Amino acid sequence: MSNPIKLSNPFKQALWQIPAITLMACLMALTINQLRSDRIPVVGDWSVDARFSDSAGDSLVISLQQAGALFDQKAVLFLDARPVSIYEEGHIQGAISLPWQDIDSHFMEIANQLEGQKNIVTYCDGESCELSHELALFLKEMGFDNVHVLVNGWSAWLAAGLPTRTSNVKGTEEGNGSNGNG
Amino acid sequence: MGQMVMVDKKKMDADGEKASINDNKQTWPDLDTPNNENETVHFHGKNNLNNILTCVLRIIMGAVFLYASYDKILNPEAFAKAVYSYQILPDTLVNFVAISLPWLEFLLGFCLITGIWLPGTTIMITLLMTIFIGAMIFNMSRGLNIHCGCFSTDITQGPAGTGTVIRDIAFLMCSIYLTLRVLCFSEFKST
Repeated sequence: MSNPIKLSNPFKQALWQIPAITLMACLMALTINQLRSDRIPVVGDWSVDARFSDSAGDSLVISLQQAGALFDQKAVLFLDARPVSIYEEGHIQGAISLPWQDIDSHFMEIANQLEGQKNIVTYCDGESCELSHELALFLKEMGFDNVHVLVNGWSAWLAAGLPTRTSNVKGTEEGNGSNGNG
Repeated sequence: MGQMVMVDKKKMDADGEKASINDNKQTWPDLDTPNNENETVHFHGKNNLNNILTCVLRIIMGAVFLYASYDKILNPEAFAKAVYSYQILPDTLVNFVAISLPWLEFLLGFCLITGIWLPGTTIMITLLMTIFIGAMIFNMSRGLNIHCGCFSTDITQGPAGTGTVIRDIAFLMCSIYLTLRVLCFSEFKST
């Protein structure tokens, strides 16, 4: 008497179906990608300058040294693109919260503070964080020049021991005392 | 097996006691052997429920995969950024996966709903769900606050959290159930 639960046939079928489905999906994907106007290269350029570039392809990246120098000269406004709750836990001293998630409701509140700024630097956290880049592109579209992105801004700033603050968005800033070398 | 069903039924008519012993050995009807006019295959209520549940889950999971593929196919560049943000794949593979994965999800969703190639399909959705959950837990454990990129490439949707993992674990449970049903019970054998 054979085994009441048959295992062999579906497993055998799966052995050829898995590569067949994978191959079909890849062929469909690559063919359609080549045919569409908004195709992306099969091997992309994921260098920092390529990732954080404007619509013309120019890099928006500012180095930590440059950002620190502008901070010392009080010639820069930092915009924190992370969610408000994370901003309140700690941010670059003097930075304004402009969370990309709520850009529509927050932008008009702070728009007047952006007028006349020599330099605007957006930041979020993590090498791959896109929030600061999206915010910078948005500001460029809104007509602000000299907008830069400080890649991995919060972690880099913190690691360099540069001044930080904790505060409520609408409250008074409080220095956390641990980083005050300006 | 199929012959045993017929024999058992004849014995059941003649000698209920002996037949009940044979019935205990006969848990599942064998549908591999084509039914003939002398053979009757009985489905118990539990089996019918399982069959209905399997069909419902197949359609739900198929719809989930089709829905998941839709926005990614429309926005390959945004999805490539989501794949990159996971920081798991080497840079050279990011675009290839961003191009191919949505179409793989589309095909799997299509196969699930239509019932084509179910053994391969159910194994693949289980593998994919395992990889998705593993990638999310891996990134949460190393403190990466990334956007899920599961159903939408819009980064204003917010970062992936515990809720996202729990949702995906629920999908994984469905996938595992479907895989076991398809692989272990031949009535769902692919055509």
